[in-house]
Amino acid sequence: MKSLHQYHPIVIFFYFFVVIGLTMFYMHPVLLGISFLGAVLLSLFIQRKKFLSSLKWLLPFMFIAAIINPLITHNGEIILLYVNYQPITLEAIVYGFSMSVMLLSVVFWFGSFNEIMTSDKFLYLFGRISPAVALLISLTMRLIPLFFLQIKKITNAQRTIGMDPTTGSLWHRIKSAATIISILISWALENAIETADSMKARGYGLKNRSTFSLFKFDRADGIVTTVITCLFFVALISSYFGWNYFAYYPTFSTIELNMTTWIVFISYFALIMLPIVIELLEVLKWRSLKLNN
Amino acid sequence: MKTRKIISLLLLFVAIPAVLLIGIVLFNDGKYQIISMIVVILACIPFFLSFEKRRPDAREILVIAVMSAISVAGRAAFAWVPAFKPVTAFTAITGFKLGPEAGFLTGAVSAIASNILFGQGPWTPFQMFTWGILGYIAGLLGKTKWMDTKIGLILYGIFAGVLFSFIMDIWTVMSYDGAFSWARYIAAAGTALPFTITYALSNVVFLLLLTKPIGDKLERIKKKYGIMQPNS
Amino acid sequence: MAIIEIEQLEFTYPEGLKPILQEIDLQIEKGEFVVLCGTSGCGKSTLLKHLKRELTPHGQKSGSIRFNGIELEQLSQREAASEIGFVLQNPENQIVTDKVWHELSFGLENLGLDTMSIRRRVAEMASFFGIQNWFRKNTTDLSGGQKQLLNLASIMVMQPKVLILDEPTSQLDPIAASEFIATLSKLNKELGLTIILVEHRLEEVYPLADRVIIMDNGKIISNGTPVEAAVNLRQLDAEHPMLLGLPTPIRVHHYFKLDQQVPLTIRDGSQWLSHHFKEDSKAILPTVASTNEVVLSVKDLWFRYNKTDEDVVRGLEFELEKGDFLTILGGNGTGKSTTLQLISGLMTPHRGKVTVFGKTLKNYKNSDLYNGVIAMLPQDPTTLLVEKTVQLEFSTLTSDQTLIDSIVHLLQIEHLLAQHPYDLSGGEQQKVALGKVLLKQPRLLILDEPTKGLDAQSKQILASILTQLREKGTTILMVTHDVEFSAEHASKCAMFFDGQIVSIDSPREFYCGNHFYTTAANRMCRHLFNDVITTNQLIERCAVQKREVVI
Repeated sequence: MKSLHQYHPIVIFFYFFVVIGLTMFYMHPVLLGISFLGAVLLSLFIQRKKFLSSLKWLLPFMFIAAIINPLITHNGEIILLYVNYQPITLEAIVYGFSMSVMLLSVVFWFGSFNEIMTSDKFLYLFGRISPAVALLISLTMRLIPLFFLQIKKITNAQRTIGMDPTTGSLWHRIKSAATIISILISWALENAIETADSMKARGYGLKNRSTFSLFKFDRADGIVTTVITCLFFVALISSYFGWNYFAYYPTFSTIELNMTTWIVFISYFALIMLPIVIELLEVLKWRSLKLNN
Repeated sequence: MKTRKIISLLLLFVAIPAVLLIGIVLFNDGKYQIISMIVVILACIPFFLSFEKRRPDAREILVIAVMSAISVAGRAAFAWVPAFKPVTAFTAITGFKLGPEAGFLTGAVSAIASNILFGQGPWTPFQMFTWGILGYIAGLLGKTKWMDTKIGLILYGIFAGVLFSFIMDIWTVMSYDGAFSWARYIAAAGTALPFTITYALSNVVFLLLLTKPIGDKLERIKKKYGIMQPNS
Repeated sequence: MAIIEIEQLEFTYPEGLKPILQEIDLQIEKGEFVVLCGTSGCGKSTLLKHLKRELTPHGQKSGSIRFNGIELEQLSQREAASEIGFVLQNPENQIVTDKVWHELSFGLENLGLDTMSIRRRVAEMASFFGIQNWFRKNTTDLSGGQKQLLNLASIMVMQPKVLILDEPTSQLDPIAASEFIATLSKLNKELGLTIILVEHRLEEVYPLADRVIIMDNGKIISNGTPVEAAVNLRQLDAEHPMLLGLPTPIRVHHYFKLDQQVPLTIRDGSQWLSHHFKEDSKAILPTVASTNEVVLSVKDLWFRYNKTDEDVVRGLEFELEKGDFLTILGGNGTGKSTTLQLISGLMTPHRGKVTVFGKTLKNYKNSDLYNGVIAMLPQDPTTLLVEKTVQLEFSTLTSDQTLIDSIVHLLQIEHLLAQHPYDLSGGEQQKVALGKVLLKQPRLLILDEPTKGLDAQSKQILASILTQLREKGTTILMVTHDVEFSAEHASKCAMFFDGQIVSIDSPREFYCGNHFYTTAANRMCRHLFNDVITTNQLIERCAVQKREVVI
């Protein structure tokens, strides 16, 4: 096996597509809990710093979102109190809370997705759908850092002839900034022509263009894809039969625990924990390698 | 040419309504956030497809890439002022001068590229579609004389700000509720009002300031290097 | 069989009055290393672009170009793209993608090769060029030299039969340029690749070439082995501006015409000198008396970009006097450009101070500093160009028409006023940018590598402009890699290393004291004359000996 980063972009995309899709779909408290747990664990594994610092503003935001719901929605049967003659129901509170957990999970899953799906993997995937647009994005990505550098150079040059966007009246600053953008665009467009020539000189525009990548779909990719597909299939079937359905309004449905629901929960748990298992196995592998060598 | 038109028409009039219908019938408890995302992605495909099939000239690709990269750089440069972004203005100017298709691509690519830098999220498809469509509309308007006037630019800037806010708010509401509710939408639109105003204001400012100089430069490049001329 | 045959090629640009190419007849054999040279605007770039179909400019064309016996127009698109490789001048602009590996595979993707073949060809080329260490890097993170090598490698993966290069080293520093030329020579010798190269800096390329073609006014005026080409040119016109661009040994030999054996390299040149001239060492005279009016004084300057970084400038100290022309030399990344920014107030040191005309930088208001005190000509002149015509570039900056006229006259750019700045050549753009900077009437002018990419003639013009400015009392500070320019025109030279100036002297003391970092003329004759640094000085010293012999 290999670490998460090394999997083929298609496998990575497929996994996150399935997990984020199901997370947005399920409102069942147990399934919500599983996804939330998985999202937090994976985030701690692969993007600990970013994750922890994002909690600062995410948690209060979600807390507010959760308490706003009962103020707007008055559905539900268990009435706790009245505010302005409007009922505040337990169902609405719980629903608001569940909703926040769901949104948080989605945000965390996306965070991990962004960490693993680097720009070259993303472009590879996009290239499978539309090579010309992928090339367009790739060119754009190459130009962005170039432009930042050039903006710096232009700003310095402009400052020495009295067009400094950091000093002077507001109008002077705006005018100076507009001059800098204007110079940048001239420069960028005229130089782009040479880049286009370089593309044509290397045969861009010939028929039957192929796409090359360093990514290889190997056995580990195959195994993981099969596992994801099977677990996804179980999830689809259970959705079809409504085994994972849970209603908040008019009042809560009961959480049944029987053979079927256990299968639903365990298979979902397996799906969610898949990347964490992969990462754990990696850690163990390297530890034993270190001991042996 | 023909197949591309057919696929586009099929997508617009068959696939998208089908997704909507399936969504409403199957998930009657309303999972609109997923459905809307699929619809928005499907809506972008005809544009990409037509670009793909046309096998665009290298110079054309480069000009669009330059404009997209500049709008991303602009978005990053103004990261410290919330909602005050030049992306719409750059997209629109490209649309005015280079036509609806180039406008759409500049908008859509700006959205994807900037989210590669700042992180993808469920908002990516919506931004892609919204900026794309704004560029497309600018391209159609650019064929008229309206966009040569200041009033025209101001009206377009306000319209673009409102539309952007409108679509992004719908997404916020649906991502929260799963279903669409007018009460919640109005509440969201209310809280988003300062943002909507800032969007519109930044659009108007950047359009008034940049349309002329950038437009001239695009015109010059078009003429000097024969880009996107009907006969080339 | 000739791989390229050109017959009676003539070409006129759509709005051109006269043809830019005339009566071009040329045959290039398989495996030849051909160097094409000529002054700016002689048509050499246009000729090159005619050899690559995808880049051929629009215009009126007659005559024929055959590749391997087939008319270029009749070549299939695939052959045209892959068999003729073209490397352009600017390393940055040719790169299409954001990853090195992707750039290498780009051409092969266009040809529609399958993944396995691409993988193999890319691996092969990356190994040949030593790219494997930066194979997975972002293209933005490469140095200029690496970028140009990558461009070359991305062409070579397509396995071209002919490689055409348009001034590929003009934007590189001398060390990267030498490496690039060495790689070309390796490709030619080891793979038998046909190479056609346009170059300004002939010193290194000249001895490597099988053939040299010299163009002037759209015509080929000299064509033959390097020696033949040089001799022909001289016979044709003893005052031809191209003669200035020839390597030093040839120029010295041209002057004396002592025998048929023309030296091409420094080694041959110095043997040739020993053969014909005798040793004559003179004491180096001390530096000219100073004017004692200090314009710029830098004291104990320290700078780093971030608190946790290492210092880039460490304890820098030097002084400039009125009318000085100081050139600062040194390798890349030693902190030269940073120093210029510190002196011009664009960045602030964390220790030490810069005093300009008796007042520290801190005490200047920005608007005063950049108005009549300091001006800096950036390396990239386009960072100053914004308007639609050259005229507007000047008139939006000041309303003083007499000032504009005097500067336009000084730079001799009257004929460019109506043009769009981006329709000018690099040298012309630079003059316009210099004009904008001079409108602020600086008393201290700072220049960042102004001779980069200029041909010998444009350098002469720049030198004469700088001389006129100095006569008017302007002090000049210049960072450069151009040893020859510095030796010929500077009043002081400094060596920058490890964040500080390690030596500062008059050009003669400076270059005669250096062993490696010195001019071609000095390297060629240092065993005979200990005080010679420029080609003209060398010729003069030799001439004196000849006269003595005759008397």
